[in-house]
Amino acid sequence: MTDNKDKAPLMQIELDYQAREKRVWDAIHLEKPDRVPIVCYDEYFSLKQGGLTPADAYYDPKRASKVFAENVTKFNWDMVSIFGNLPGKVGETIGLTSNRWAGYNLADTQEFQFVEKEYMLGDEYDQFLSDPSDFIIRKMWPRMADGLDAFGLFPSFTMFSHAYAPISDLAMLLGQPEVREMLKKLILIGEQMNEHIAGVDQAVEALKEKGLPVFAEVPAHAPFDWISDYFRGIKGTMLDMYYQPDKLKAAINMITPHMIEYTIGTAKEMGVPYVSIPLHRGADPFMSNKQYAEFYWPSLKELLLALIDAEITPMPYWEGSYTNRLEFLTELPPGKIWGHFDVVDIEKAKKLLGDTMCFWGNVPVQTLISGTPEQTSDYVKKLIDTFGDNGGLIIDGAAGIPKEAKLENVITMTETVFEYGVY
Amino acid sequence: MTEKLFHAIINLSRDEALKVTDELLQSNVNPDDILDAARDAMQIIGERFETGEYFLPELMVSGDILAAVADKVKPLLEGEGGTEKIGIVVFGTVAGDIHDIAKDIVVFMLEVNGFEVIDLGVDVPIEKFVEAVQEHEAKIVGLSGFLTLAIEPMRDTIAALKEAGLEDVKVMIGGGPINGLVCDDTGADAWGPTAMDAVSIAKEWAGVSA
Repeated sequence: MTDNKDKAPLMQIELDYQAREKRVWDAIHLEKPDRVPIVCYDEYFSLKQGGLTPADAYYDPKRASKVFAENVTKFNWDMVSIFGNLPGKVGETIGLTSNRWAGYNLADTQEFQFVEKEYMLGDEYDQFLSDPSDFIIRKMWPRMADGLDAFGLFPSFTMFSHAYAPISDLAMLLGQPEVREMLKKLILIGEQMNEHIAGVDQAVEALKEKGLPVFAEVPAHAPFDWISDYFRGIKGTMLDMYYQPDKLKAAINMITPHMIEYTIGTAKEMGVPYVSIPLHRGADPFMSNKQYAEFYWPSLKELLLALIDAEITPMPYWEGSYTNRLEFLTELPPGKIWGHFDVVDIEKAKKLLGDTMCFWGNVPVQTLISGTPEQTSDYVKKLIDTFGDNGGLIIDGAAGIPKEAKLENVITMTETVFEYGVY
Repeated sequence: MTEKLFHAIINLSRDEALKVTDELLQSNVNPDDILDAARDAMQIIGERFETGEYFLPELMVSGDILAAVADKVKPLLEGEGGTEKIGIVVFGTVAGDIHDIAKDIVVFMLEVNGFEVIDLGVDVPIEKFVEAVQEHEAKIVGLSGFLTLAIEPMRDTIAALKEAGLEDVKVMIGGGPINGLVCDDTGADAWGPTAMDAVSIAKEWAGVSA
């Protein structure tokens, strides 16, 4: 190959990359791009097309990267997420019990699942609120991973504050066999993580070389979800709303500034201009609008506005049914949020949010999995007819592209946009 | 006399409900009557959930109060107590899926509407459904699933029930990824988007007017 031969396609690839990015950002800013963009959450669908399973993503990210890049680029989308969540080896080394995943304690073909329980008990709010980091490290971590049990042996971290601590208390603790065993594991998971990240990075690089932007996921959570998902569980939080609402609110308020600082810091460090926020307990069936207004929305809104202030585009994924909450979302500034919708009344969404927020997602997973190409195409056209007039539309499955989706439906979803979604 | 307990539960006042329960027991009110009042209250909670007046927190709190009342009353019950059940439903979240919230809501609504529910929990292996149906001679099975990965095990569970000769058993499915398309795809007899749909379907199958 000569240099000259290489240059032309490389330039074209770079132009394709830029055109795709511009198309997506135009839609987010509610400006009309050349065509409706397609941006897909694709955790395992493309991997499956290449014959791999979620277990491969957990345990062989290099191979998964190669297969993912080969397959996802066939669809001609404008931007994609990248597969995989946790490195399976890290979870095994640390004896993680708060998650189950493919290739370990779930079948190779299954997505990971979080094992929800009360990692913080109802009577532990005061401990958590008085010294959150101490509580998390000494109490919660041992409950989430067998390999972190030895943190339970530590005294309150506040007591390591005296001048002799490093050569006395701390050194003595680190001499204990259980602690030394744990430290070995901690060293090992760092190495395993580096290896995993190197594997996943290969996919990002491979896609860039093919002109396809990847949205790296810097994740954040609604503060209510943070407490509900990870600390108290759904039942615990819902009982707290009645039995100890002030403590629940205090925990949410305590977490919120940490969430904001951490998220902005991580996004800036990675150079990523957006943050994905998968939302859970605010969906319609979980609570009333009154409860949403009291417990859920204020801290989420604070997070969203803080990100926007820091010139980061929040990508909330309004998971579940969100029709009853649309009124709340009208409080957000126009063209600044990249919201992904799951199940929602699209007419109402257009009416209330059409001038506020680009509409992304919502092609029913049921249609992609069990429907026909014709049903898929009809739905995509309906979305384009509803939202296309001001350019504020991005196509994806309601929950991304599920790995169980029929290939012909996914192809049809894409082709329909190319045929029907040109502005 | 049990009226006060009924109101305490529908108003979600745990302390009041427990205080009244103690008073009722001290005045030798029949424990069966106490539980009946609690069940009547749960029926109202179910109705309020259905009409959108109550949501998940209220179901959880009322369930918590009911359990606390039952803990006080049950040791004093002479027999099994309770009213005649209108049918047996074997229920569970299918293999590979560990989500229990939606399942628990449906189980709750079926129970307050008079069904005996054999709750198999989450991540239920196919053969466990078959065994439970045979053991309890149930005619109705409910399969719950939150994730799209639940669709395949639903299909396999339904096929396994047929293979085991349980063809007269009716299967309903529900949960996040389920709609009519998926229902046909899995071979289920019915599906529903809400817990009350499950109750209506089960009542129809049990030959009770909904």
